[in-house]
Amino acid sequence: MEASPSLDLSRWREAPQGVGYRRRVIALAGLRQLLRTRLFRVLLGFAWFGGVMIATGGFVFSQAVASGGWLESIATKLGPRAEAVVAAISGLVTLYPDICVRGVFTLLFWGHSFLGLWLSLVALTTLVPSLITRDRASHALVVYLSRPLTSADYLLGKLGTIVGVLLLVWTGPLLLGWVLSMLFATDRDFVVYSFGPLVRALTFNGIALVVLSAISLGVSALGRTPRLTMVVWICLWSVFGVMAAQPRAPEWILRLSYTQNLGQVRQEVFRLDDALTAAGTQLPVFDQQFKNNLATAGKRAESTDFAGALGALGVFFVGASFVFLRRLRPE
Amino acid sequence: MQNSAPAPLPPPAPGRVGYDFIIEADRLGKSYGPQRALADVTANVPPGTIGLLGPNGAGKSTFIKCLLNLETPTTGSARVLGRDIRTESRASRERIGYSPERDCHISGLAGCEYVTYCGQLSGMPLRLARQRTHEILDLVGMGQERYRPVDTYSTGMKQRVKLAQALVHDPEIVFLDEPTNGLDPSGREHILKLIGSLRRDLGISVVMCSHLLRDIERVCDRVIIIGHGRLLEHDTIANLKNRHRRVVEIAPAGERERFVAVLAAAGARAVTLSNGKLRVESASDSIEWILQLMRAHRLPPAEIVANPDALHELFLKSIAENHGSQPQP
Repeated sequence: MEASPSLDLSRWREAPQGVGYRRRVIALAGLRQLLRTRLFRVLLGFAWFGGVMIATGGFVFSQAVASGGWLESIATKLGPRAEAVVAAISGLVTLYPDICVRGVFTLLFWGHSFLGLWLSLVALTTLVPSLITRDRASHALVVYLSRPLTSADYLLGKLGTIVGVLLLVWTGPLLLGWVLSMLFATDRDFVVYSFGPLVRALTFNGIALVVLSAISLGVSALGRTPRLTMVVWICLWSVFGVMAAQPRAPEWILRLSYTQNLGQVRQEVFRLDDALTAAGTQLPVFDQQFKNNLATAGKRAESTDFAGALGALGVFFVGASFVFLRRLRPE
Repeated sequence: MQNSAPAPLPPPAPGRVGYDFIIEADRLGKSYGPQRALADVTANVPPGTIGLLGPNGAGKSTFIKCLLNLETPTTGSARVLGRDIRTESRASRERIGYSPERDCHISGLAGCEYVTYCGQLSGMPLRLARQRTHEILDLVGMGQERYRPVDTYSTGMKQRVKLAQALVHDPEIVFLDEPTNGLDPSGREHILKLIGSLRRDLGISVVMCSHLLRDIERVCDRVIIIGHGRLLEHDTIANLKNRHRRVVEIAPAGERERFVAVLAAAGARAVTLSNGKLRVESASDSIEWILQLMRAHRLPPAEIVANPDALHELFLKSIAENHGSQPQP
């Protein structure tokens, strides 16, 4: 027979931390678990490399057009023709900073939005099964809901994890890239005229964040096994995405692919078509052929069905919210 | 059957240090469509170690889940530690621990990480949660296994870690649903001793749900019997035993026939049980009259147990008496 257990315990009689702390604990625990996976660490490496690439792009651009910058020095060494080209580009940027700076940064952020979205989707593929599916499978909802937490707190905590992931693989590198490139900018115009594209990039980032959070929570709440969750997630992302990318895909397939819909939103938010058209019509150096090419490229970058895509994303959001709110009960 | 919501309970007295009642349920009911799982349960439960008894599907777990807000009651109201479970949902669970019957854990976490995480979910700062985690895991008898993922634990270890997560935030009341399921005899002994000492040493009230009546009888000072969703009995074990017919079991070391004869001569009819023990109905709770008989007739020593199955018989009696009164939808 064992002796009675010793109950020489420290007591905890202080007021508990607030609900914000508990939600943060849920969010950070999810992130910590994800950071243990090698794939996520590799993704983070790629994501921050993307941020450095933005910074490099911005830095090269600002140095290229600065008077007395290293590009001008190199051009001087290369001869009068190179010197003239560099001087012409510098002159254009000085005369039309709104078109040049805005155009270049729109292009940089537009390119980065592809990388950011793709990395976010891959990261969410590893995260989705561990969001709600595993908690449902191991009856862990009871652990949360028998404590001073409501299902809304639980959801906000899980949402915090998704937001954390997207901040780490998308928003963070984007902001880092912009800040670093502005630190070395030679002119205030770079800050002023790159700010608009940055806001547009962040707007698209925000829309994607809301949509992806809702969809990933909904998919995670849908299944009880990680495999099923993964299959649904990959179907929604890749299968419908590939089907929607076909030239003659019917409209309902386009609506079913949230990546296709996000693509439409991207075109509308970034307005790359405006940047290209403005460059073609207002910059004085382009010949007619080049102007036509820019106009054609702008046309292709135009959003063709923004309202429909936004509506479809809204339906995704409502549907996914309905699923996770219905499934979030202890069993 | 009353479906209308009763008037809300009065607010708790301001500045109250202790609680007169840890649970105040007023016509608490829960229905799942036409099925009524809990019907008008009214009980004021004082602090202590309380056993919750009832057959399968009686509504014990539903009662606990309603008190924890894991299920929303359809009728009535309740307070836990003086806080209304509906209007003060979060606050009513701040000082409560719960160890459910089913396995529940957070996949991928080691035992100590899991318990620490649970402490943090209850609002404990990380440092304190870590410290309490190791103390509690020592207490429930977990050694180095605490550093292994919970997914790899045996049933007994899962039971211990469930108890640890229920205690880590130093609750004032802990609900334990079948806490000894899956434990080996020594583990069961350890956990029962621990549960028994929670109230005595730490002042933590325990509501323990178990099918093992002997476990309840051993550690609890009060019993609630629920059957068919209704509260059938609620009293201290001592009072319940007093209401029960007194029975004494005697296991003589020898001379069984002489024992039977002496008891018969004293007017007490002894029945020999299949395990060789003698069962005698007694007029009082005291066994002094048997000891006097043994001294007077120089009978050999014997193990004497008063009211050995009182709770069991009372439980069966309560269920049988109320069998015809199932709540109607």
